[in-house]
Formats: sequence, C-alpha cells, structure tokens
Amino acid sequence: MTSDTATRARVLVVDDAATVRLYHSSLLTGAGFEVSEAANGLEAVEAALVTDFDLFVVDVNMPKMNGYACVEALRSENVGSAAPVVMISTEDRPGDADRAYLAGANLYLVKPVNGDRLVRVATMLTAEVAA
Amino acid sequence: MNPLLAQFLAEANDLLAQVDEGLLQLERVPGDPELVNEVFRAAHTFKGSSGLFDFPELTRLTHAAEDLLDAVRGGRLTLDSGMTDDLLAAFDLIRGWLAHVTTHERLPASAGTDAAGLITKLRAPLGGEAAPAAARTAGVPAPVIDVAPDWLAWLDAEWLTETAAWLATTSSTLRFVWYTPDTDCFFRAEDPLHLVRQVPALEKLGVVQPEAWPAPEDYDEYTCMLSFVVVTRAAMGELNHLFRYVPDQIEIVELDSDAITRHLSGEPPLRAEEAVSVVVTAVIDSEVSADARAVLQAAHRALTLEGAVAEGARLRSVRHAVAAAAWALGVPVDVAESSPDELIATVVRLAGEAAPAPVAPIPAQLQTQAVAPHEEKEPVGRADDPGGQVGTRVLKVDQEKVDRLMELVGELNVAKNGLTFLADAAEEEFGSRVLSRRIKDQYAGLHRIAEELQAAVMDVRMLPLSVAFGRFPRLVRDLSRRLGKTIELVTEGEDTMADKDVIEALGDPLVHLVRNSLDHGIETSDERIAAGKHAAAKLTLAAVADGDAVIVEVSDDGRGVDPERVKRKAYEKGLISEEELETLTETEAVDLVFRPGFSTADQVSDLSGRGVGMDAVRASVEKLGGTVTMRSKFGHGTSTRLRLPLSMAVTQVMVFSVGGQRFGIPVDLVVETVRVPAGEMSRVLHQEVVMMRGEVVPVIDLARALDMPSTLAEGADRPILVVSVNNQRVGLLVEQFHREVDVILKPMEGLLAYADEFSGTALLGDGLVLLVLNMKEVLGLAARVA
Repeated sequence: MTSDTATRARVLVVDDAATVRLYHSSLLTGAGFEVSEAANGLEAVEAALVTDFDLFVVDVNMPKMNGYACVEALRSENVGSAAPVVMISTEDRPGDADRAYLAGANLYLVKPVNGDRLVRVATMLTAEVAA
Repeated sequence: MNPLLAQFLAEANDLLAQVDEGLLQLERVPGDPELVNEVFRAAHTFKGSSGLFDFPELTRLTHAAEDLLDAVRGGRLTLDSGMTDDLLAAFDLIRGWLAHVTTHERLPASAGTDAAGLITKLRAPLGGEAAPAAARTAGVPAPVIDVAPDWLAWLDAEWLTETAAWLATTSSTLRFVWYTPDTDCFFRAEDPLHLVRQVPALEKLGVVQPEAWPAPEDYDEYTCMLSFVVVTRAAMGELNHLFRYVPDQIEIVELDSDAITRHLSGEPPLRAEEAVSVVVTAVIDSEVSADARAVLQAAHRALTLEGAVAEGARLRSVRHAVAAAAWALGVPVDVAESSPDELIATVVRLAGEAAPAPVAPIPAQLQTQAVAPHEEKEPVGRADDPGGQVGTRVLKVDQEKVDRLMELVGELNVAKNGLTFLADAAEEEFGSRVLSRRIKDQYAGLHRIAEELQAAVMDVRMLPLSVAFGRFPRLVRDLSRRLGKTIELVTEGEDTMADKDVIEALGDPLVHLVRNSLDHGIETSDERIAAGKHAAAKLTLAAVADGDAVIVEVSDDGRGVDPERVKRKAYEKGLISEEELETLTETEAVDLVFRPGFSTADQVSDLSGRGVGMDAVRASVEKLGGTVTMRSKFGHGTSTRLRLPLSMAVTQVMVFSVGGQRFGIPVDLVVETVRVPAGEMSRVLHQEVVMMRGEVVPVIDLARALDMPSTLAEGADRPILVVSVNNQRVGLLVEQFHREVDVILKPMEGLLAYADEFSGTALLGDGLVLLVLNMKEVLGLAARVA
C-alpha cells in the first residue's frame, strides 16, 4: 500500500467481538489501510450507505443482523456496493462457505486468521486493477 | 498488559455475565429460542476472541460449552438443570482463569486438569456428536514449526538446553523474535526497548550489541545499533499485533523442543542474510498465489452454485475479485464487461495457468502506480465524509479516572467557596463594597458552572440498580436448591439509577437480607401448602427513585415475623425491660430485630444468622446515610425497605461552632434551628430539656460532650440545633450557627480512623478542615459524659 492518504483504501471491519475488531483493524491500519469499524451487520450497512468502502471484512455470527444478511444487504440495490467482501468466521462446516458466496462474499476465511494472510488478501483485493 | 489482551479481558467480563444471566433465565423459561440464541452467541463470541491468544485450554473448554449450547439451539438436546450446572461451573472456572490471566498473563498451570473433567461432562450429553465436534479443534491451527535460525546462537546454550527439555514435556512451542530496529528509528519516534518490554508472556530477552562499536569520535548516540532476541509464550496473533508498525524489522519463528535440540547439536542454521531472505520470498510467492487461487475458487463457486444470482453489485464484485486475483498472479485480464459465463471461463483458464509455476507478483506499491486509477473510483461525498465513526459508541472508562474527576470537582468547589471569603475580606478589610459585589457576581457565575459540572460528573457515576441485583438470580437459585425450597425471584425497577458507590455499598446488606429471607422468612413447600399458600414462594427485589433517594425493598411472602416471639426473645436476651415487653407496639417489636445481639433463628444455620444479623445491615446502611425499616405481617410475609441517598459523593452539611471551633452535621438530620431564651431551659433529673410545641426535647451540651470550653454567656439566648436521630428529637446546644455547605466528605483515615464520633472530614473554602459529627456516636458519648 502506498502511504499517500488520497489513495489509501478504506476497509470496514465488521465484528461484534471488540477484541477481534481491534485485532483485525490494527493489522490493517498497520498495513496502511484506512479502517472503520462496525459492531454488527446493521451498523455496517448504515456505514456503507454514507461511505464507499473498498473492502469489507465481515464476521458471520453477530446480533441484530448476521454476516450473511449484512452481505446480502450490501449487494442489494439499496446499497449496491460491489467492493470485495471477505467473510471471517469460526464456523468451518461444509456449506458455510457456499452460504457466504451465495450472499455475495468473495472469500471465506476461518478464524483466527493469520495476520499476514489478512493483510495479503486485503492488499490483493483492493489493488486498483479490478473492474 | 498489551491492549489486545486488555480488550479481551474487558469484553470477556461482559460476555460471561451475559452467559450466566441467560442460563439462569433459561431455567425459568426453558427452551426460549431467543434466550438460547443469546447465550450461544455470547459463548461463541467469547470463543472466537479467545482464539487470538495462546490459551488452548480456555478455547477448548469454551468450545465444549458452545457445542452443547449449539445442540440445544438446534433442538437436538433439551437443557436440564444438570447441564446448566455444568455450564455454570465451566464459566465459573473460566472466570477464575481470567482473574489469573489478569495478573500473570497466562492461564494457571492447573488449567488443563481442571478443564478435563468439565469438558467430558459437557460433551457427555452430546454422545456420538462429541467426536466430530472435538476434531474441529476449535479453529486453532497446528503451529508450523520453523527451522532454528542462526541468531538463536545469541541465546545462551544452557538456557536453551533447559528450555528444550521443558518444552519436550509439553506439546507447546515458543515464539522467538529477532528484532533489528532501523538505525534511524529514534527519529521516527520509535522506542525499541519499550516495544520489546511490552511483549506478553516474556520468557527471555537478549540485547545484542554490534560486533564492533564505532570509534568514540564517530559514535552517534542517535543511531540505534542494537538488536533484540525475544523469547515468548505469546501467540502469533499477539506478536503480529504488537509489532504491526515494524513488520520489516522483525523475524518471528516458532520452535518446538526438537527444533531447538537440532540447533544445539549444530545443525547448519539458515543464514539470515541469504538463505532466509530467499526462502521467505519464495514462501510469500506461493502464499500470494494460494490466496489468489482461493479467491478464484470462491468466484467460481459464487457463479456456479445452485441459486446463485450473478447480476448487479454481486456480479461486479465477482469481476473485481477475479481481476484482482489475476493481477496478483501476474496474468492481468479485462473482465469489466464479462458476462457470468465468460467470467466462469476466465476463472477456469486462470486456475489452470496459476497452478504450476506462480509468477512473481508485482509488489503492492507498484500495482497502484502501474495502472491508471479508475475515474469512477472517486465518487462525490467521499472526500468530505470522515468515515471513522459508525453507530453509537459506549466508552468504557476506568473507575479511578471518574473518581479522580470527582475529586477535582470537589477541589473546584472548595476553590469556588474561597471566593465568598474573599468577597467578605474585600468589604471588611479593604472597605470596598463594589469589589465585594463584583467578586460575588463572579462567584455566582462560577457556582453555576461548577454545579453543572458536578451534576455531569455525578451522572457519569450513575449505574442502574441491575448491577446490584445481577448477582441474585444465581444466589437465589443456588441457595433455594440447597434449602429445598421453591422460590421465584422477581426484580423490579432495575433501571433505577444511583451513584456507583451507593450501588457497591448496597451489595452486602442486600445479600444479607436475601439470605435471611430464604433462610428464615420463606417456608418449605410443604409448610406453605399446609398454610394454604402457593407452593412456590415469591421473593421480590424492587427499586424506585424517590427524590434525592433511592428506595430498595426486599420482600417475601413467607411466614413473617412473630412480634410476640421477638419480644419474648429480646426480653430473654436482656435487650428490653419487662415493662417494654408489655407496652411495645407490633411495629416497635419488629424493629427489635435490628438491635445488636438479636438473632431470630433458634438454630444458627449455615446461611445466615451467625449473631451478626440485621444490626449489621442497619449499621452499614446508616453509614451510607440511609435508613432501614422492616414491616411484617405475621403469616403473610416480610418486607425490608432500605432508603439510601442517590449519591454519596456530595453531602450537604450544616456548619456550626462549639468552643470556638467549627463542626458540621449532615443537613438531612437537622429538623430546625432555634434560639431559646436561657430562662426557658429546664431540667428533668440530670437532663437539660426544652419545651417545644408541647413536646419535651432533651438538650445535649455539645461543648461538654466533646470536652471543649463552653463560651456561652450566662444569660444569653441558647442556640439549639434540633436533630432527629432514630426518630427521636434531640436538641444540640451549640455556640453559633453558620451556613450550609456542599462538601465532599472524606472518611477518617490513619490515626483518626477509630475516632467514631466523626463520620468524616471536609475541606472548606477558606482552607479550614471541617469535622463532621457522627450523631449516633456523639449521643452515646453525651450519655457517658452525663
């Protein structure tokens, strides 16, 4: 990532666990991303309505609005965000990943995510090459 | 403690409380899907966060609890009280562990053995399900053991040998960090030593000096020439977090006993400069392409899954992801207009190309420059949107900080009060009435702001009564089981707010009252049925705000207090006279239970009634400036009412002087102030009294009681402060009345801690320390002096 503020990619970290939020957002902040946080799906959708994020990092199991519903909403006409979504969950039962892809996620990772990997994936998905 | 762990501990507290509360509620409303879900989610969130740290037992135990809850949630199991007991026990154990983590930053050594039994118990109801669930290993990946790097030689071999031997006895590993700060790191405000000191669970720290120090004349003290070797039990996640700002200056390896032993036996190390860097790049290459392939795979699934809708934002996001992955693989594609089918074809082609020899990826910095930025990517509104805050935030603040703020408000009040003295001095000493008035105006303004500030700070200190009530569902459940009684606990008015000190101080008296109720007040189910009552007893905890006070009531529909038995007992214990035995009203009789040395239970049970009983409750409530009363209807129940000030932080005191010295007493106690002509004072036996509105009020000469000189002239009017103590009116003969002031009462400390006749001290605006009287003790003192 370049350190130039104007081109820093904006990431929204969505997780109800404050500890996990802190972990993910500090990793991404350290890697030069501009990070915002939301504590559940509803907050995330509200945030996406006012800010164009370049990437969403979304937990699955959350109160108020879970991760799947959140991603569905992000992809809906009302929000219409085409930014990549990485879902991160403790669940790794068969079918969980597919549920995420059906909702509109672009990658499904299982917690706890290795810090390097999260930064690598975020960097890859926010590179300004994509359509 | 590192912030991540601190955050985890703070969050854990809330989550565990949620689990406990939910489990208890579930016993009342078994199978409520909302409740089950809530408990499950709290446990789940807790487990997720615990995985970031090296607490394998913690994660394993939580995982077992979570699996059980998941089965309940899915309807495969019905939660019974045995399971609830096991779950509560598991989270109690975890709470104990976390207390240990708070001080030692690691789990207690006994964690593994302590957890084993509980895990088996929790898994038992799951039967066959246990195996696959356990196999999921709680999402904790097996550590990757690295090869010992050459910098391990900086650690002393003897220590390494011992460590290897110790590691061999467990399955754990250690993380070794090699940190070479940039030579100009000081100019970037980095503090390498501070950073390594923050490494949690530190086992060993070595500072490595340069091979040769520069000559004194070339030596630049602003150049960092040191390196550090750090050995820690902390998990990778924590280390990554800690060193997140200097990722290029550190190298972390994870080693087990074997790896260290191989290093000690002289296995050729990886040369840091050459071999490692080559290997690392290669690893990164393959990792990036693995990530890219994962993204492509995900895109493929998203396009081909049954029921997948590939249009609109979904389709655009897939195009975006595919293009990004292709770029990372070094084979850019243009899929901006691709249809879903074309995209699938592209993904299949890329996956085929990516598999064999991954092309070196272009570093991230170059990527953004290499391609012209997308015009579309700069929408309006983006520049002026701050973007940081999302939703409402609750700030958790250390109690001490709030206390400090309160202290400062107190000091501000003192400084503010100083202005009134200054105004007086301006007029009296310097003869300037104008200046005096201007100071008073200034004071009025400052006073208003100080009051608002004080109200705001007090508001921060307010907590709902639910904090005090929170422990009771568990307490009542456990005790009622032990006593074999069926009790329904009802709480009302939990939202009522009171100062945190009041809430804290309320805890013990409430526990005592509830225990008393359970133990003595409430009958067994058989007794209740025989008495024509509902088999299940009802215990109510209710709170309601009443002006500047909060009223908390503990009531039960138990057997009530038998006034005759109480009187007889008090008489037997010598607490009342034979005459009182005859004349005491029912209400007065019930009040006897608050007398020191009274205990109604004939049998001292293991729950309450160990001689210290209701008198202790009354004493602690009165210490808070509150009152406690009991109403009871024999056979129908008892209700104990505590009335407490909403806040203990600020006390209004009436100032008066005795023997030339100023004292204060809480305004709440003052009924009125009167000046009585000397001739109207009279004497009954040895007691001075005064007639007020047809009532005889005893008068105590404070100067005498406090052993101070009396300065009142022989025939002068007598200033008398009438106070009400225990519903009794008493007159206090003083020297002079002064004004009322708001003070922050500080308890008596140090040598004066035992001076019971004072309830505390307060600083006045003119720098004087005001002693505030403890009326009850002073009356006792007066009785002894007389």
